[in-house]
Amino acid sequence: MSQALTRYGALHGSILSRRRKIETHKGLDRLFAWGAMRLAQRRTRLRYLVREARAVHRLRDECRALSEQALDEQIEQVRTRFRRGRIERDDIRRALALTREVARRETGEEAFFVQLVGALGLYHGRIVEMLTGEGKTLTGSIAAPLLAWKHKHLHVFTVNDYLARRDARSREGIYRRCGCSVGAIQEEQTPRERFEIYARSIVYGTPKQITADYLRDQLRVGPLRTPWTARLVTGGSGPMIPGLRAALVDEADAVLIDEGVVPLIIARSRSESEMAQVYRDAARIAQMLDEGPDYSVDHLKRRAELKRRGRERARQAWEKLDGAIWKAPRRAEELVRQAIVARDCYKRGSQYEIIDGRVIIVDEYTGRFLHDRSWEHGLHQAVEAKEGLDVTADRETLARLSFQRFFRTYRFLCGMTGTVADSRREIEQVYLRPVTSVPTNRPLIRKQLRTRAFRRASERWDAVVEEIIALHRRGRPVLVGTRSIAASEMLSARLETRGIEHRVLNALHHEEEASMIALAGRAGAVTVATNMAGRGTDIILDARARELGGLAVILTEMHTARRIDRQFMGRAGRQGDPGTARIYVSLEDELIVHHAPRLARLLALLPGRQELHPSVVVRLAFRHAQRRAERRDRRNRANVLRQDDWIEKHLPGG
Amino acid sequence: MAERPTFSPFWHRVRAMTPRLRPHVQITRQHYRGRRWHIVHDPSSNNFYRLNPIAHEFVALLDGRRTVEEAWEISLARHGDAAPTQQEAIQLIGQLYQANLLRVDTTPEVEQLLHRGRERLKKKAMSQAIGIMYFRIRLFNPDALVSWVEPILRPLINRVGFLLWLAFMIFVAFEIIPYGEELASGVDSAIAPSNWGWLIVVFIVTKAVHEMGHGVILKRFGGQVPEFGVMLLVLFPAPYVDASSAWALPDKWKRIAVGAGGMLFELFVAGIAALVWVQTRHTPDSLVHQISYNAMFIASVSTILFNANPLMRFDGYYILSDLIEMPNLMQRSMNMIKHYFKRYVFGMDQDKPPTTHAGEAWILTIYGLCAIAYRIFLFFSISLYVMGKMFAIGLILAIWTASMWFILPVGKFIHFLAASPQVGEHRARAIATSVLMIALGVGLLGMVPVPDYRKAGGVVESVAHEGVYFGADGFVVESFVHPGERVERGQALVRLENREMVAQRASVSAEIGRIEGLMRKAMMVEPAAAGPLREQLTSLRDQLAYLDDRLGKLTVRSPASGVFVGSDPSGLLGSFVREGDALGEIVDPEHVLVYASLNQRENSWIDDGTPYEVQIRLVSAADRVIEGSTARVIPAGQERLVHPSLSYFGGGTVQTRADDQTGTLAKSKQFLVEITPRVEDASWRGLPGERARLRFELPPKPLLVQWADRLMKLIQGRVQL
Repeated sequence: MSQALTRYGALHGSILSRRRKIETHKGLDRLFAWGAMRLAQRRTRLRYLVREARAVHRLRDECRALSEQALDEQIEQVRTRFRRGRIERDDIRRALALTREVARRETGEEAFFVQLVGALGLYHGRIVEMLTGEGKTLTGSIAAPLLAWKHKHLHVFTVNDYLARRDARSREGIYRRCGCSVGAIQEEQTPRERFEIYARSIVYGTPKQITADYLRDQLRVGPLRTPWTARLVTGGSGPMIPGLRAALVDEADAVLIDEGVVPLIIARSRSESEMAQVYRDAARIAQMLDEGPDYSVDHLKRRAELKRRGRERARQAWEKLDGAIWKAPRRAEELVRQAIVARDCYKRGSQYEIIDGRVIIVDEYTGRFLHDRSWEHGLHQAVEAKEGLDVTADRETLARLSFQRFFRTYRFLCGMTGTVADSRREIEQVYLRPVTSVPTNRPLIRKQLRTRAFRRASERWDAVVEEIIALHRRGRPVLVGTRSIAASEMLSARLETRGIEHRVLNALHHEEEASMIALAGRAGAVTVATNMAGRGTDIILDARARELGGLAVILTEMHTARRIDRQFMGRAGRQGDPGTARIYVSLEDELIVHHAPRLARLLALLPGRQELHPSVVVRLAFRHAQRRAERRDRRNRANVLRQDDWIEKHLPGG
Repeated sequence: MAERPTFSPFWHRVRAMTPRLRPHVQITRQHYRGRRWHIVHDPSSNNFYRLNPIAHEFVALLDGRRTVEEAWEISLARHGDAAPTQQEAIQLIGQLYQANLLRVDTTPEVEQLLHRGRERLKKKAMSQAIGIMYFRIRLFNPDALVSWVEPILRPLINRVGFLLWLAFMIFVAFEIIPYGEELASGVDSAIAPSNWGWLIVVFIVTKAVHEMGHGVILKRFGGQVPEFGVMLLVLFPAPYVDASSAWALPDKWKRIAVGAGGMLFELFVAGIAALVWVQTRHTPDSLVHQISYNAMFIASVSTILFNANPLMRFDGYYILSDLIEMPNLMQRSMNMIKHYFKRYVFGMDQDKPPTTHAGEAWILTIYGLCAIAYRIFLFFSISLYVMGKMFAIGLILAIWTASMWFILPVGKFIHFLAASPQVGEHRARAIATSVLMIALGVGLLGMVPVPDYRKAGGVVESVAHEGVYFGADGFVVESFVHPGERVERGQALVRLENREMVAQRASVSAEIGRIEGLMRKAMMVEPAAAGPLREQLTSLRDQLAYLDDRLGKLTVRSPASGVFVGSDPSGLLGSFVREGDALGEIVDPEHVLVYASLNQRENSWIDDGTPYEVQIRLVSAADRVIEGSTARVIPAGQERLVHPSLSYFGGGTVQTRADDQTGTLAKSKQFLVEITPRVEDASWRGLPGERARLRFELPPKPLLVQWADRLMKLIQGRVQL
């Protein structure tokens, strides 16, 4: 079992992680570093992994024949070798064959060949792409013991607390047998409990939890950089995490890319009551101005620009106000612009939701609520002022860390994902980890139906409802994806009026969602879900549903990243199941209106009354808009990363 | 960023810090174009940082007790919108910290300090690599030396000293003006290879004096001179001192004095050398005379050509930038040019120019354009020059410098286009216009045919020519013709005088008279005796006729109609010539040919068959251009030159073999091209044997093709392909 971890040990590990210099590259250096990484990692390409997986597979019968006791003995042997750091190729093969056998005996699932390939990829520090439903959980759980042996502590990142808990529990048997203790970090745990859990060799948790713990650790340790000095100051309450050693990231695309930039901020509220009035005043002034003559809004960049007339009108308005901030014209204008952005670019139901009188951010990628996070300086308050809510006090940032930076701090990083190919370059360049696509176990037989495009959003919804009804009548299970919570509720209301029984999942309660989505594969089930709802849980078809043609996925709007679309459609056709997927778009969709407005106007000229004649042009146009959105996001991420790196490089402390 | 958001999400990183400037950091005020700036100077590392008054005030507020946030709030209360934003404050603190000017209250981080040190070293190595044309080698700290010299010269380093210097230079100028011709004629021998050894020695000595000049004046004004070393200027060693602490001098005239100090000292040396040279002019071969000439030559010419040139980053540049009070002139003018690009070509309206002042903008623009042009000029001239001397090194140097000066910026530019967030929504236009411009450039250079000229040396030869020889011995007394003049057959060209012959004739005719008298007498007295007399008379008459003929030949007449060519007979006046000596030739101007000798590689562009237009300029009359066309290309290579004047020794361009006595055997096989000049008027003085410069007009070709051709020719010539 794991060695007892002392406070000092944790401190030492934590300080070591803090002192780790993250290599940052700019410009050509970045390309060069990427090339060097590709070159250095070329040995463990897919071909090699496949060859090794075959070797592992050859050990299957031998392992199966082992008695329980012999199995334990063998595990102990190979584990010792791993812990001593003397790992030969044969050790890796044997170790993997053993964990596979353990998993078979403990859970009854035997890893497929492709899962072995994936596990080897993980072991070699690669980001492994396995299509949705190829059994990523099992892949992770046969690789995890090896990594835990080698790196002493392994953090396994899951999308939400529920999954962390579920996986930690369901895999415990395997890990225990392999001599690894396991635990899951949950939101409600106290620091003392967390310390206890972090001391275990395999720790499940969400990025948010573990990153926040790490940040809190850093705050607690303060600016010190050697464990020796730190020991003197911190006294009893040392860090919780004994350093960031190895990380295995599930759903790597979501964690490493989509959430990569959203920084985790530890903040405390500051009592600045006079600011509340300022934000309300700003919102009021913004209300007076008209788009067009007074200001223009760039929805892409979420930026408002005052025109001369607007500036004049705003000035007249704020000159009547008192308060120091209105005396400085530039800052006053900034406030007004922000209020305009808050009003025009941030919509309830899409970007945020109001729960219990508070503004809760909705992750635009995943549709999940991001509790405890707020937008940058003033924007959050501006949104609150706009909604007429109590303006929360400006929160004072104590520490801030982006996931990009956090994950780069790990000395070892590997991950699994359903769809990463679209962002392969980005992952490889930012994290300097190679990406491997593992082939599917069974061929994909999901049918991609032709995209349907409508002139108006309402026409699209009508068509969606009609198709749902048609499919439902035939008894096929239907999964409908919406981009926002508001849309899912709107669709739900429409279905309600047509008398269709359905379930709505919108990333509120992970646990319920998991059980609900597991039922979404039953014949006749209709499930409306935001993109990310119930991720990590398989939809299992019942026999009748399979007969009727499997799950029908309907995507009611294209997302700003193709990855997310593919992810959602990937819910149909798992493991060689039948299924169909269809995308609905309209010319009023935010995607095309904001990202390719000219194209939208051109498309309107195409023939077709309500529905445009389906053609390649339509699909390409939407894909183009999507590509532009992807590019914007990629650029934003790069900017954040650059800023982050500049700060780290130029400012003392960390 | 067009807008300056007040708040920064990273504020928490600096908010609670209580930094302060390191105690040894010095701050001086300077005024540039009426605006105040504060120069933060770290003497230990010679780092400089220029702050505007508000930023300076902000930094000054950081006293080690106030937190950054407190200081920022004070600044905000005082200056409102002009106060630094959080982002700007962070940047300022970051940069000062990075430059080691700021002490931050965290425990000293040895690691980070070391890391920064390594970064600096890396940067230094990088800039060395980029500027291989000015590679620096640090030698020693000259402080002791400068400290020793400075007190001695101190009484002179002031205005009075400068006036004395000026007076001295004027005195020297007056001294030397009378010997202007000798001065000019010495240049050739000074740059002759045999003199190089001395030239280098003198160069290093005078340049050391130059650097001492900077150092001493800087020391006088309280600066530090921490470094003395050798810079490899295009592989040529030139001493340098690190006088960067002059940047902190508050008075611009003192900064200018430091910048000009080197030249002042060096010109002073030149002045002394000039005086020595004048004094020793009676012993022109003495070493002292030679060396003083070298010193004078280097200390004046190199100073004016290089140091005073503001387009390179030498003294002149710093003097200029202090004079017009625009520091960072080079970088800012480059930014200005970039700004024009971004603004007008890429349509990035929100891009800010490096200055908003109209006058400054003009200066930056003009300076930027000049600097770019000069850089290109310098690159080509230096590369070609060095390639000419040491091909391999020159080639490496050229490639390296090209990649650093041109390819690297282009790469950066492409990266900028592709990745800079600044380009943002203008990317499409930016890429389109860049591609268009490159396409246009390549199209213009690579597609549009441009007249192509090739140059070669040639010699004039006439096809039909008749020699004019002196028919008799005699002194030339009169000449009637000048070369190039048209003469008719039988026209007198030169008249000789031969008194002996005249006297002889006089005696012969006297003798005839006497004999005739005798004859008459004998006819009457004794007819029989008349026979011998008659014979004598006949012979005398023959003699007379002969003499008359000879005398007649004293006037040299043209044997044919044509143009007289040869040396000018008036030069012969008074000299004695012998019969059979050549006076010149009468040539038929319609039938003069010019031969060009081309070697194999040059000949590659001559495509026989099509006649080329050729412009011929005679060396003697370079102002006149005669048109001609190629008549014939004799493709068989031959080593023997048609005329010795084509060879190096004859003043031409063809290298001859060293072992050949006649000097007409070429090193490589030559191809002969016959060119017929089209001469309309007789005033063309193309004399046979005269050298001519030829310009072949090739069919128009795109410039790129031409350049590639020429480069290939150069390379082929060097590596003997």
